[in-house]
Amino acid sequence: MTRQSLGLKVNGTSHALELEPHRSLLNVLREDLGLTGTKKGCHSGHCGACTVLLDGAPVNACMVLAVQADGHEVTTIEGVAVDGQLHPLQEAFIEYGASQCGYCTPGMVLNSIALLRETPRPTRSEIQEALAGNLCRCTGYVQIIEAIQSVANGSK
Amino acid sequence: MTHGSIIGKSVPRVDARGKVTGQTKYAGDIQLPGMHHGKIVFSPHPRARVIEIDCRAAQAMPGVTKVITARDLPGSNRYGYDVAHRPVLVPEGEETRYIGDAVAMVVATSEELASLAAAAVAVRYEVLAPLTSPRQAMEAGAYLLHAAAAGNRCCQREFVHGDVAVGFGAAEVVVEHTYFTPRQEQAFLEPEAGVAYRDDAGVLHVLSCLQDPYGVAEDIHLALAIPKSRIHVKGTPVGGGFGGKLNTTIQVHLAAMACVAEVPVRLVLDRAESFIFHPKRHPTEIRLKLGAGRDGTIHALEGTVIADAGPYSGRSPEVLGLTMSGLLGPYRIPNVLTRAEAIYTNNLDSGAFRGFGAPQAAIARECVLDKLARALAMDPLELRRRNFIQPGSRPTSPMLGDSPVSLELLTKRILAHMGPRPIAPKNSTKRIGRSICFDMPVFDVGAIPVLGKSGVGATVEVHSDGGVSVYAGGTELGQGITTVLAQMAAEQFALPLERIRVDMGDNWTSPRAGRTSASRLTFGLGNALLLATGRLRQTLLARAAQMLEVAAEDLLFEDAEVRIKGVPAKALAFADLAQVCWDRGDQLRQEGWFRSAEDRYMYGHTFMAAAADVAVDIATGEIEILKLANVLDMGKVLNPAMAFGQLYGGAIQSLGYGLMENMVTVDGQLKTPSFAEYAIPTALDLPREFLAEGIETPYPTGPYGAKGIGEAALNCTTPTLLNAIADAVGVEVDAIPVAQEHILAAVRKQNLPGSRAQTESKWTQKEIV
Repeated sequence: MTRQSLGLKVNGTSHALELEPHRSLLNVLREDLGLTGTKKGCHSGHCGACTVLLDGAPVNACMVLAVQADGHEVTTIEGVAVDGQLHPLQEAFIEYGASQCGYCTPGMVLNSIALLRETPRPTRSEIQEALAGNLCRCTGYVQIIEAIQSVANGSK
Repeated sequence: MTHGSIIGKSVPRVDARGKVTGQTKYAGDIQLPGMHHGKIVFSPHPRARVIEIDCRAAQAMPGVTKVITARDLPGSNRYGYDVAHRPVLVPEGEETRYIGDAVAMVVATSEELASLAAAAVAVRYEVLAPLTSPRQAMEAGAYLLHAAAAGNRCCQREFVHGDVAVGFGAAEVVVEHTYFTPRQEQAFLEPEAGVAYRDDAGVLHVLSCLQDPYGVAEDIHLALAIPKSRIHVKGTPVGGGFGGKLNTTIQVHLAAMACVAEVPVRLVLDRAESFIFHPKRHPTEIRLKLGAGRDGTIHALEGTVIADAGPYSGRSPEVLGLTMSGLLGPYRIPNVLTRAEAIYTNNLDSGAFRGFGAPQAAIARECVLDKLARALAMDPLELRRRNFIQPGSRPTSPMLGDSPVSLELLTKRILAHMGPRPIAPKNSTKRIGRSICFDMPVFDVGAIPVLGKSGVGATVEVHSDGGVSVYAGGTELGQGITTVLAQMAAEQFALPLERIRVDMGDNWTSPRAGRTSASRLTFGLGNALLLATGRLRQTLLARAAQMLEVAAEDLLFEDAEVRIKGVPAKALAFADLAQVCWDRGDQLRQEGWFRSAEDRYMYGHTFMAAAADVAVDIATGEIEILKLANVLDMGKVLNPAMAFGQLYGGAIQSLGYGLMENMVTVDGQLKTPSFAEYAIPTALDLPREFLAEGIETPYPTGPYGAKGIGEAALNCTTPTLLNAIADAVGVEVDAIPVAQEHILAAVRKQNLPGSRAQTESKWTQKEIV
C-alpha cells in the first residue's frame, strides 16, 4: 500500500510522518510516536480507553484514521501535565481514589477536561452523560464522578 | 510506636501518579529492542479434528519470521492449573475443544503483518458436533472431551449435614425452584498482553499481566520443558483481572513464540480474542428446596448445582466448593443435602471470576428465601432474621470460621440507610419494590491447602540510606495491594510513604506468595510483611540501643527517627541508623513467612447486607434503581478510599450481572464478541442513590485487624435487585440478566392494570441463558 505524507501535531510537537492511510491514530500514537499513555481496549469504538482530544474535542483514537488528523492538534494524556505540574483533574483523581487499575484513566481524564471546558459546572447527570462512552470495570464510577465534581466546584 | 499515622488513612495510592499521567507501563506498552509481534491462530470450530495445517503460504508472507505449530514445540505441549490437559497448540490428528483453542502461531515484524499471515495459515478441519450444554454433555453416549472424565464430569461435590428427610418431614411449608445464571465476562479493560525474550544466558524472561507468577512459571515449565531456574516471570501492572487472568492466559504461547522464533516477542490479544480465550464465570442451573415451619424456622435445605465447566478444568473444583457453602449463607440450617457438579462442554471456558461460585449461590439462596416468605405470607426480612446465625457460632459449612459481627447490627444499619419505602406517584405505571438480602462472603486466611496453607512470604529490605524495599509475590490488579503494603511498612518504621518502594509479582525477587485471588493478599502478604518488619525492627532497635546506651524497650520509631521514650531530643535519624547497621554487618533484609495457625480447613468470612429500592415501569419494562446500599463488615479499614472503591466497583459489577451481562454462545460460537453486544455498566447505569458503609470490627488474626473484602463487594447486589423487582411487579425472577422484555412479557401475562396487554412476547426467562 502506498504511504501518505502527513503532519501530526501532538501535545504541541509537530511530527512529519509517512503512513499507510488505513492506520488508526491510536496505533500511530502508540507504535510510531511511542506515546503509550493512550490505551487500546477494543479498537472498535466501544470502550473509550483510547480517548484523545482532537482540536480539543474528545474522540476515540481508534476510530480516527491518522491521515484524518493531518494538520490538526492532538492532545494525549502525556500532554496534560505541564512541566511536571499536574492538571487539577489529575490531582483530583489521585485524591479521590478514582484510579484502580488505571487503564481507563487516561481516557477519563481527557474526556473530563473536555467536559469541564464545555460545561464548567456540570450536574451529576451531565457528568454521567459525558462519561457514558468511557467504560470502567474497577471503580463503579463513583469516585471518578466525585473527583470531577470537586474540580468543577472549585474546591481544587 | 506511633500508631495510625498512615494505617487507616486514605493516603493516595503509590501508583496513582503514574496512572493519571499515562506513565505507567502495562504489558502491551513495553518496547524491547528487536521486538517482533505474535498472533495466535484460533480454531474457528468449537469441536473439530485438525486434519492438516499448511503453513507454507503464511511462512512466505512479508515480515514473517516463523509460523509455529505443535511440531515445533519442545516439551509436552500440555499445561493447566489442576489438570495439565490444555494443549498449547492442537496438533494434527487431535480435536479442538472450543473456539479458544490455538492451532498455530505467527511471529512477524509487525502486528499487522502477523495478523495477515495468521489469516493465511490454511487449516483443514473435520467439523464435528459440539456439546453445547451440561445436560447434553451428561447424556449417555455423548462424546467425551477428556477420556479420563466419565460422563464429561469435571468434578463434583456433596455436602451432608443432619438428615434432610427428617427436616422436610418436620416442615410445614416446602418451596422449590430452579435458577439459571449465565456466563459473565470479566471485561477487564486491558486485554491479555505480554512480552518475552531469552537473554544471552538462555534464561527466558516473561513480562505480562497476570495474577500468579508462580503458576505461570509452572505452566511454562510443564508445557515447554524449560528448567524452572531459567524461567523468570514478572507481573506487570494489571489493567483489571477479576480472576480472568488468574490461570495462565497467553504466557505459555508467548514463551513458545520467543523460544521457537528466537526473537523477543510481544503478544497482545484483541478484544474479540480476549472474549473467546480466557475462562469466565461458570453458568449454572441451581435447584433449591427449602422446608420450614409456619413460624419461619428453616428445617431443611436441599440443592443441586449443575455448572458448565467449558472445555478444561482449571478452577471448577474450587468454584463448586464455594458455590456449595454459598447455598447456605448466613443462616442456621440444621439439615442439609447439597450436590454440585461441573460438566465439560465445548462452550467457552469457565474458571475464576471474583466470587468463585458464591454470586451464583447467593442468587438462588436469596431468591428462594423470598419465595418461602411469600408462601408463609411473612415479611422477607423477618424470615431471614428468624434464621440468622448468632455471633460466635460457627456456620453450618465446615469451611467457615467464626463470626464476630452480628447480622442484627447489619440489619439495623441498612434499615437506617434505606429509610421509609418510597411511594410511586399517583396514576403512574411505575411499581416500587424493595429487598434486603444478606451474604457471608469468604476470604482466604491461609488455612486452605491449595491457597496458602503451605505459607506466604514477603521480603523487606532496609537500605543503608534509610529507604525501604518490599518484595511481594502477588500482583497489583488495581485492588491496591501495593499501597496497602507500603502503608504497613511505613507504619512499622514510622517513615513517610515516599521512602517505601514495593515491587510486586516477580517470581525471582519475591518469595512464594500464592495467587492473587480469594481476597487473600492483604491478609497473607500483610502478615508476612509484619513478620519481616518485626525482625528488622528488633535489629534496628538493638543497634540504636547500643548507640544511645539505653535498653531497646526504651526506644520507639517516630517521625523517621528512633527516639528514647519521653526524651524525644535524644534520637537517631532512621537513615543514619540504617547506615550504621549496614557498616556493622547487621542483617537488613528479612523474609517473613506466614503460616496460618489454624488446624482446620477454613475460610475467614465477613457478613454483609445489601438493599435496593427499584421502580419498575409496567408499561415499558424499564427498571430504575432508586437506591442501592451495601453494608459490609470490613475488619480494620487500612485505606478507606481504596476499600470503598472496592465496594462500589463490586456492586456495579454485580448490577451488570443481574441486569445486562450475558456471554451468549450458540452451538459453541460466541454471539457477543464485542462491547456492543456484551453490555457492561456505564456511568449512566448508576443507581440514583448509591451508598456503602463499612463496619470496622478488627479481625483478630489479620494484619492491623484487616480482612479481605475484594470479592465480598460483588456477592450480594444481584439477588437484592432481583428480589426488589419481584417485589415491585409480583413476577418471580429466576434467570439473569433481567431485561425490559422479560418484565414486559411477565407483566402482560398477568394482565396487570396499567400494562399494555397486547401480543405475547416470545421471550421467556430461560431462553436467555
